[in-house]
This record gives sequence, structure tokens and C-alpha cells, in this order.
Amino acid sequence: MTDMSLDTVDRQVRFDDRIDIDTEITNRESLVIVGRSFKLLSQVKKLFAAKIVLGLNVMVPVLIVPWLGKILVDNVLLQKPFGETDIPYPPFMDPVITWLTGLDPLEIMLRLTLFYVAMLVLIGMRVGGTYAGTFEGGDAASEAENQISGAYSEASGLFGLVEFWVNVRLTQRIANRLRTRLFERMSQLPMTTLDDQRIGDSIYRVLYDAPSVPDVCYQITIRPFYTLLVSLINMYLIKYTYGAVIPEVVWVAWVMLPLAFLFVFPVSGLLRRVNQTKRAAGSATTNSMEEAVNNIDAVQSLGGMEHEVNRFAERSSESFRRERFAMLAWMLILVVGFVVIAIGALYITILITNKIIEGQMTPGDFWVLFGIYYGLSEAAITLGGFWINLQRSVAAVRRVFFFIDYASDEDLAGEQVLEPIRQGVSMDNVEFCYPDGTKALSDINLELSIGELVALVGPTGAGKTSLAYLIPALLKPTSGRVSIDGVDLNEVELDSLRGQVAYVFQEHLLLSETIRENLLLANPGASEQDMVSALETAGCMGFIDRMPDGIDTVLGRSGNTLSVGQQQRLSIARGLVRDARILILDEPTAALDPATENALVDALRRATEGRLVVVIAHRLSTIRRADRIIFLEEGTIRESGTHESMMADEDSHYRRFVELQNE
Amino acid sequence: MTESSPQDIYSGTSQALEFPKISFRRMTQLVWKTWPFMRPMLKHIIVLLLVGFLQGIIFAGSLFVAGDIFTNKVLVGEKVQPFQAWAMGLDESYVKEEFEPGTEETDDHDDVESEEPRGLLATLVGLVGIEPVEEEKEDQAEETDADDEANKLTGEQRKVVRDRMIILLAFLSLLGGVMYGVVLPYYGRWVWHNVNQNLRVAMIERAEHLSLRYHSNTRVGDAIFRVYQDSGVIISLLEEGIIGPVSIIYSLVLGLVFIAFFDPLVALVCVLVLVPIVLLVYLFTPRIRRRSLVNRRSYSDLTSRLQESFSAIKVVKVNRAESRILDRFNTDSERALDAALALRLEMVFLGVLVAIVGGVAMLGLEFVMVKWVVEDRETFLGAMVVAFIGFTVWNLGAFNAANSRVEDTAEATRGLTRVWARLQDLFIALERAFFLLDLKPEVDDPENPREFPESIRKISWRNVHFAYTNQRILSGVNLTAEAGTVTAIVGQTGAGKSTLLSMLLRLYDPDEGRVLIEEEDLRDLRIDDIRHNTAIALQRNVLFAATVEENIRYSSVDASREDVEAAARVACADEFIRSLPNGYDTELGERGGKLSTGQRQRLSIARAVVRDTPILILDEPTASLDAATEHQVLANLAQWGRNKVVFIITHRLSTIRNADQIAFLEDGRIVEIGTHAKLLDREDGYYRKFVDAETVGKVAS
Repeated sequence: MTDMSLDTVDRQVRFDDRIDIDTEITNRESLVIVGRSFKLLSQVKKLFAAKIVLGLNVMVPVLIVPWLGKILVDNVLLQKPFGETDIPYPPFMDPVITWLTGLDPLEIMLRLTLFYVAMLVLIGMRVGGTYAGTFEGGDAASEAENQISGAYSEASGLFGLVEFWVNVRLTQRIANRLRTRLFERMSQLPMTTLDDQRIGDSIYRVLYDAPSVPDVCYQITIRPFYTLLVSLINMYLIKYTYGAVIPEVVWVAWVMLPLAFLFVFPVSGLLRRVNQTKRAAGSATTNSMEEAVNNIDAVQSLGGMEHEVNRFAERSSESFRRERFAMLAWMLILVVGFVVIAIGALYITILITNKIIEGQMTPGDFWVLFGIYYGLSEAAITLGGFWINLQRSVAAVRRVFFFIDYASDEDLAGEQVLEPIRQGVSMDNVEFCYPDGTKALSDINLELSIGELVALVGPTGAGKTSLAYLIPALLKPTSGRVSIDGVDLNEVELDSLRGQVAYVFQEHLLLSETIRENLLLANPGASEQDMVSALETAGCMGFIDRMPDGIDTVLGRSGNTLSVGQQQRLSIARGLVRDARILILDEPTAALDPATENALVDALRRATEGRLVVVIAHRLSTIRRADRIIFLEEGTIRESGTHESMMADEDSHYRRFVELQNE
Repeated sequence: MTESSPQDIYSGTSQALEFPKISFRRMTQLVWKTWPFMRPMLKHIIVLLLVGFLQGIIFAGSLFVAGDIFTNKVLVGEKVQPFQAWAMGLDESYVKEEFEPGTEETDDHDDVESEEPRGLLATLVGLVGIEPVEEEKEDQAEETDADDEANKLTGEQRKVVRDRMIILLAFLSLLGGVMYGVVLPYYGRWVWHNVNQNLRVAMIERAEHLSLRYHSNTRVGDAIFRVYQDSGVIISLLEEGIIGPVSIIYSLVLGLVFIAFFDPLVALVCVLVLVPIVLLVYLFTPRIRRRSLVNRRSYSDLTSRLQESFSAIKVVKVNRAESRILDRFNTDSERALDAALALRLEMVFLGVLVAIVGGVAMLGLEFVMVKWVVEDRETFLGAMVVAFIGFTVWNLGAFNAANSRVEDTAEATRGLTRVWARLQDLFIALERAFFLLDLKPEVDDPENPREFPESIRKISWRNVHFAYTNQRILSGVNLTAEAGTVTAIVGQTGAGKSTLLSMLLRLYDPDEGRVLIEEEDLRDLRIDDIRHNTAIALQRNVLFAATVEENIRYSSVDASREDVEAAARVACADEFIRSLPNGYDTELGERGGKLSTGQRQRLSIARAVVRDTPILILDEPTASLDAATEHQVLANLAQWGRNKVVFIITHRLSTIRNADQIAFLEDGRIVEIGTHAKLLDREDGYYRKFVDAETVGKVAS
């Protein structure tokens, strides 16, 4: 009893995850993730360079605006002449000062205004940046879309448009490359892993986690680059202009950056954890919905609607709760940062006003200095939050890299190209265990040759399907050797192997495309004639002819407008159209009526010319027409031979099996 | 269904794309539909709104006063206004001389001040427990600078004013910061999450109850996308789409009032600038809508494809179709990204144009106001509030205040445009979300459901017709089954056997004819009652990502562990379950990968059995079982189901033979019915031919 409750608790914490369970990330690991994200930038060098160059426009307002403000206050509004105090203008302002010196206040203002207007149209000075996020629902899905295509430019105006465009393409390209790669890797996961991986989780990773990558790239390159650039320039300006009058301001500015960093670094672990759980909870929600909708027929017929809705509601509410935690953690950090900045601001204000009251500085200087301080403090927040900000995205990116790194079929496969198969398959001392330790096959020794029709027979759970999975290397033996034409399958390149094996599954997995496309999936080179003959052999033409668009009829979701038997026939046709050297059919006839079954078996008999056909079957009518019957029980081969020879043995397991059938 | 399939967008030209006509009325309708999901949270939403309104007034007011004190008093050195002196606890020497004789208004203030000489600040300081240390200096300063310029503060006085202002502001912003920076945003998020939760659950509930006909025509991914992405935007609709604009408009109006306070002409110009801006918005709106629709559809398409690829991953693998699936994903993905860019460019382009128009007006007004400062022109209403604020003539503080109001107004206009552009996208999303909610489940509860019959003795189909969209399945089925009997339904693949039995669960309703339990039409009974009394073991063995026990207990939550085990024994599943690593507590994968098909079938059967309902349907549940197990299972079932109506669909002769009656389905009709022996006697009978075919192999041997 205690065992059970422990187990439930454990499961809740893991949010249904089975494979990617250990979600803690250390600082070191996130450093690695950051490094890998950085490498992704090498795929988009040109766009990235363009973005950096275009982004430089941010310097214009940063450099000029505070000083123009000072001119406005001192020389226009308070009507003082230039050069009254000992605060020097920075050198780059010289042309502007010469341009304006000696004019009366309103003339100065007119020139300022014209300059502002020009800058407004060009770079959108004083009207903020360009951003095009759509509304976010506060969940990962809509956030992801904005992460990919929201983009950002400090500029507006004509320049901002161009920069924005470049930026969108940059983030899109990074995200797209990565999610395509992730998709590719996930489709190559080994079968045993796939059985454990939830579909909802896969979708979540590809669509909602991958978009965080451009964010990481942005956080580690563009953002700190400009932040540092701007703050260095500002610090230089403070030193140059105010260093003599109020030296304290200079060191306050210098101290701010490390101070902010010191404050926030310790909490980065917390932030990472809340974000990690937030994402896991979100993917559990997606999953429960996916499962419910996908199995709608079962849910409805079992009266499980209430149950499913409750389950979804529970998950969804948990996911929202986690999102609020993440938000709260983030806000608390912001508050701390804000208080530190505010204390600094107060100190600076007191210093400056003292100087102004003493007449060493003018009111205009306050706006310049305060503007610079504001810029610096923002930089401090940015750099202090650098690590923390990264954590939010790192949590997501880790989930992406996890499956990119996961050993896939391809990685485990060899490189030897398999020639067209001439002899057949042999298995020596093969044993197979599932990762959880369940033993499915043991002590299998078997030769299967081209030209044979072999039936795998045995009670449910005897390991027939596992044995068949070994042939196209969907499963790899835990020990022993499977070889084709003497080549160990571990050494074989997968394309050359699976290209020669056609497999028809027990489940009938059809895509919601046209019938034609479903067949072409198996053999893109199939001619119309090939398709029709495969369909005829599998007994499909009868119902296809009745469909309005014939072979071009689009199937409903998971082929649901077809009856199960029809789906099965289509799956068989898909296997036949492959024209592969080895054809494996996993209980192809279970849902067929006897007439269709007989036709199919006839076709299979004809197909054995130059082929190896393996059939897993329960029906005697199918079994007895095989060249050889392999009888499996409890994961081992009990007997093999023809129907007649095995029936002749009074004590054979097979005979008992058949007799039960005939009772 | 009514909606064109996602592919239409790409296969057809852009004209093929139905243009979303969203009138204002439609928009309000959409907003209205969100009402039921907001209502439970109404109280909280009102609180949020009220706090927002207060925030606007308090912020604007205190910013004005603080700005005046800081620029005009501290930086420039003018004397403070009476109210300011009171709030900061300053004596008369700080106050402008013209107030000393006093108008009636200020007299009152002076009275107040004399009654409570230490003022607001002192009270606060007292609360915090800090003694005002400047008291003495202040007096000195007052003495020495007494005969300075009457209208200027001394340097020391300016510092005192500054320090007190800072203390006051620090205290206020600490309060305000925690309130508006942490408490309110969290509270707000909680409220909107709850609304979103309500909507999501309603949508999934609807999706669960829709008839299978809808599901077989729509992609699953689309449904997922709708619930997830599109319902997420409901929060946005309310938070940013309604409350957001309301508060922006509120601050816009507030800003205009303040501007008019300085000069009505400036306010008028601000209003006039809105005309070209509205025109721009009007021009761009339909473009944004169109792009948004394409964007959302292509994204939804991507999601569906992805979902499908992952569920059919096995087939992809054995066919080495990975690269083709990948290409397809890539194409879909790029298409979605292009659509996203196109939408955003429209939005950004509008934004830039509005920013330029508004910006030019803002800069022009700035020039005019600067001119007024230089000319020392009087402000419109500054004299009226002179007791609080020193803005009688245009000065540095007044300019800062007025100009920042104008800037805010320009910003508000830009913000409003942005919100509008995003709203277009939002409404497209909501249309799609509500499409699902608006769908009437084809199979629905009757308004006045009748009582479910207490004991069931007879179930019958009377002249039942049924067709999918383009395919006739059943045309006039008549069949009766009685309690305590097993009825086997036999027929060609695709003859409609599963559909016929699905009607018992009201997964489909007949197009014509009736299905009766006792004499009650199923359509007069409640769906829950019906499904409560019927158990089915499906052909497609669906397992859920849960433990074995939970899978068996699915939908009969009250079943005890003993019930579960008993059911497993009936289904001959107990033995293999016990051999699993954790027995009944073993976790099963979504695709049930660790179990063989036969094992999964037995779990399905156990799941049906544990419900112990009067009606049991077995839809080819034994196809993957070996003969021995099948016999055992059927024998157990016969024993267990003595008073029940049992239906079984199967191809196996050995199973069929033992049924009490065999119904042969062909061409959508029941052509033969009877026992095995009786039907075999008919020369040329359908059933006889069927049996002959089954035994072909045998004859040959």
C-alpha cells in the first residue's frame, strides 16, 4: 500500500514523463547548452552579421538624445548662452554646438525640431522600437509563436522596418533549423524508446520548446553586445564630462554592474527549476488532451468522457499554477533589482542636485546624467539578469537537445550497405529483453531463406512480433546475432536494410492523405499499375471503386472512415507495393473474411518467388499453407516444420494448438 | 465539415481563401460568447478594473506634483506651493510670499497647517520612527536668507525640499511598487488563468462529446491546436483586448484633460491628429485579418501533420519514409513561418506609419510649447490650482509636465493601434476556437429523457439506415437480441458490423429507423445512462498511459482491486499481468508497446467485463488470441454473462458456431439469421458459402 502511494507521488512529480525524467540542470550543464546554442549561429552567419550592423543605429539616440535634452533645458527653456558652466560637451557634439551657437532660443528650438523630425522618419527616434508580437495567452504555445516571429528592433521608422525584417528571418531560421533537426532525430528514435515517448510530449518539444533557442542566441550575443557597448560609451561620457565635477557618479556607475550580478546569481537555480516544471506540466496537459482526442472512440464507448475531461482539467490547472510560480519567481527578482537601482538613483539624484544648487551644474545636466544613469541601470539589470534570463530559455532548450542527443537508430546502426538479399535471414542464439527487464525472446536459432513462405505461430505473448521486429532491426537483440546474407545487422546501414523489408503492422496506421499518397509513402517510385495490382491483391479494389474519388480519396483521421478490415487491407496493399525482398505480415488476416483471406494467401504464395514472406497468424487456413511453420512459446522456438510433419507427431505442442482450434 | 480543409489554402489561389468578414456586431458577439467563462471570475475582474482606474489618477496626480517640486523648486529654486509645504511638513518661509496674506482657500490650509504643524511627512516619519534632523538647520536657513530674493528658495532650503520629497516618494513607491509590481500582476494572472481554464475545459468537453462523425472528418492536431493556441488567446482578449484598450483610452482621456488644463488648443491638435491615424488603421485592418487567417491555418496544419507523423511513426520507420516525412515537415514549417512574417510585416508597417504621423504632431507641439515658455505665457487653468502646483505660467516644470503628457498621448495612440492590429489576429483565433464550441453534438441528450429500463430483456433494431458523408453503410437493418443469448454478427469486411453495434452506444444515431432497448428508443434516453449500461471491448485496442490496473478500471472508478483482478481472470489476463515487472501497477506506454496485441486485447476485454453491465459488445476482441486462450475467454464470458445481452463480431468459425443466433450482414441488410446448424442447412446460403471459404484450406489438405 505504501509502495503504491509512493509510486503515485513520484509520477505526479514527473508529469507522466518516462524517458526524460531527470530535469535538474546545473550551472555547468546550462553553460554547455548555451555553448551549443551559440554554435547554431554559425548556420545563419549572414543574417546575424546584418542584424548586428543594423542594430548599431541604437547608438544614435543613446549618444545624442541626452545632450539635445540638455540644450533644450539650459539653452532654450532657461535661455542660458552656451558654455556657461564647466561641464564640457563630448567631442561628437561639437558640430551640433557650432551649428547652434549664437542663435536665439527659438531658432535653436526650430533647428532641434527639424532634426528630430528627420530622425523620426529615419530611425523612429523618440517613438520607441518595433515589435510585432501577437497576443499571448500566457501559455507556452502562444509564447512560442512570438519567440519565433515577434522579433525586435530598437529603431522604428524606415530603418526599423528593415531591421525588423532581418530579425524575424534570423530568429525563424534558427528555430526552424533546430526544430527540423529535432523532428528528424525524434523520428529516428529506437522502437523501445518510441513506445515510452508520449506523442503530446513530442509535439510540445518540437513546436513549443524549440523556439526558445533563438532567444538563447539573442541573450548571449546581441543583447550583451549592445548593452556593454552602450554602457561603456556612457561610462566614458560620464568620466569625460562629469568626472571632474562629481567623481562619485563615476564609481557608482562602475559598481552597479557587478552588484546587480551578485544579487541575482544565487537565485538562478530556483528560476530554472520553476521553469522546468512549468514546461513539464504544460506538456502533460498537451498529452492528456492528445490522448483523449486521439482515442475518442474508445473514450466515448467506454463512457470515459467525464474522466477524460476531469483529467485534462486537473492537468491544465496544474500547468497554469506552475506558470504562475515561474512568473512570481521572476517578479520577485525584478523587485530586488529595482530596489537596488532605486537606491542608486536616489544617491545620484542627491549628488547632482547638490551640485546644481551650488551652481556648478545646470538643471539641464540633471537630465543628461539621469538619462545616462537610467541607461546604465538598465544595462545592469540586463547583465545581472543575463544568467537568470537565460535559465528560462535554457530549460526549454535542454528539452530539445535531450532528444537531439538521444541515441537514435541511425547512431546505433552500422555503415555497411546491404546488397540485394540473395540467401536469407539467420538468427544465432538471439535473446531480447525490454529495457525494463521483461524477457521477450531467448535462445532463438533460425534460418529463413528467400523463396519461403514462413508462418510464425504460437499463443498470445509468445514473442512472435518481437521476433519479426528483429528482421528490419526495429529491435536489436540484447545478445546473439541476427544476420542477413551473413552480414550482422549491427553493421548494416539502415536504409539499405529497411529498403528491402516491407512490414505490415497489426495496427493499421494510415495517414490522413489520399490512398495514393499512403501507398507512395512505402514506394515513391510505384507506378499506377503497381498500385492497382497491390490493391487488387489485398482485396481493396472492391471498396475503392465505390469511393467517389477512387484511389485519390482522402482518408479521414487515422483512416477512420474506413472500417477496420478495410484499413487492414490497405495496410497490406501498402506492404505489397514495396516490392521488397522480405515481406513480413503481422496477423494480416485476423480481420479479413475467409474469401478475402484465401485470395490474399494465394497472392502471398505467388509472391514467394524470389522473396521471403513471413506471416504471423492464428488462423489455421492461413498457417497450413505455409512452407514452414515455426511454433513459438514463451519466447523460445518449440518446434518447426510443415503442418503435416508436425501434426504427425502425437505429442507436439503444435498439434495440441491446432486441435484446440478445431474443437 | 463547414470549414474548408487546411490544404485548400495552399492548393487554391488566394481567392479560394474565404475572407473572414468580421463586422463589429460579430466582434461583440464573440466577446459575448466569452461571457460564461468570465462570469465565475466577475468579482475579481471588477476589482482589477477598479484598481486600474485608481492607479491612473493617483499616478498622474502625484507625478505632476512631484515633477513640479523637483524641476521648479529643487532644480530652479522657486518657492513651494502651500499644499506641497503641508505635505512635506515645511514652514511658511518655503511658501511663496503672495500666499502669506492668503486667499480664503489658503487660509483654510494655513488653519489646517497650524492645527497639525508637522504635516503628512512628519506623521509618516513618526510612523517609521525617524526623527527629522533638519529641523534646526531649517530655522537657521530661514533667518539668514530672510532678505534674499523673495521668490527664491535658498540652497539649504532646496536641499531640505529635495530630501523630504525623496522620503515621501520612497515610501509611496515602496507601497505602490509591491502593490502594482507584484501583488496585482500575480492576482491578474490568476484571474485570467482561471478564465482560460474554464474555456479550455469547456472545449475539451465539447470535443469529447462530439459524435464520431465529426472526429472522423477532422484532424486531431487541429483540435489540439484550437484548444491550446486559440483558447490561450481568450486571456489576451480580455486582458489586453478589452481591459487593455479601456485603460489606454482612459489614460488618453485623462491625458487630454491634463493637456487642456495647460492649453485647450494643444489638446485639440492631439484630437485632430487622430483623424489620419484612424484612416490608416481602417486601410490596414482587412489586410491584417487576411494574413492572420493564413497564418493560423498554416500553423494548425503544421501541428496536425506533426501529430500524425508521430502517431504513425512505426510505418514511417519501416518504410524508410523518414526523409520524406521530414521534407513535408520542413515545407509545412517554412510555409507557416512565411505566413507569420507576412502578418507581422503588415502589423509593423501600420505601426511605423502611425508612429511617424503621431510623432510629427508631437514634435510640432513641443516646439509651440517651448515658444510659450520663452514668452512666459500664462497657462489656461494653472492659476486655479496654484495652491497645489506652481504652473501659473509656462515654465520648465510646466513644459515637462505638459510635454510628457503629449508624449504619453502619442504613445497611447500608438499603443491603441498596436492593440487593434493584434485584436484582428485575436478575433480570427476566437472564430476558430468558437467554431468548436458552437458545433452541436449530433448525438445529444433529449430534452426530457425517459427512465432507463430497469431490466433489459430485449434489444432491437427496426429498419435502421445509416450513411457516412458519401458512403451508404446500413440500409434497413432489422434485428432482435434477447437477454441470456449471444448474438454473432457475421459478414464481409466493411459490411457495417461495427457501425451497427456502435449505435447501441449512440456513437452514431441512425439516419432512419430506430434502435430500441425494451420499447424505449435510444434517442429518448440519456447518453450517460446508455453508456453506463453498455460495455464494449473494441477492435482497436486503446490503452492509456497509466498502470495496468488503471487501464482496466478506466471509466468504472468504483471498481476495487478485487473487481479488477476478477475481471482480468475472466479475460484470461491475470496470469500475464502478474508476470509483468510490477504486476497490476506496471506502467503502460501510450502505444502499449510492451504488450503483445493479444495481451492488449485481453486487457480490453477485462475493461469491459469489470463494468458488469447488462449489455456487452465484443468487437473482434479475440482475433489475435490463440485458439486455446480464445476458448477459455469465451467460456469464462459465457459463464459470467448469463443474464446479459452479448454481441460478438468475429470471423472465427469456432467462436461463431457457439453463438445462440448468427446474423449475417450483407449490403447493409441482415440477409440471414439463425443458429449455426440451421444456416448451414441452406444450400446456397450466404453463411454456408462463408463457412465453405473458411474451410478451403482444410479441404485442400
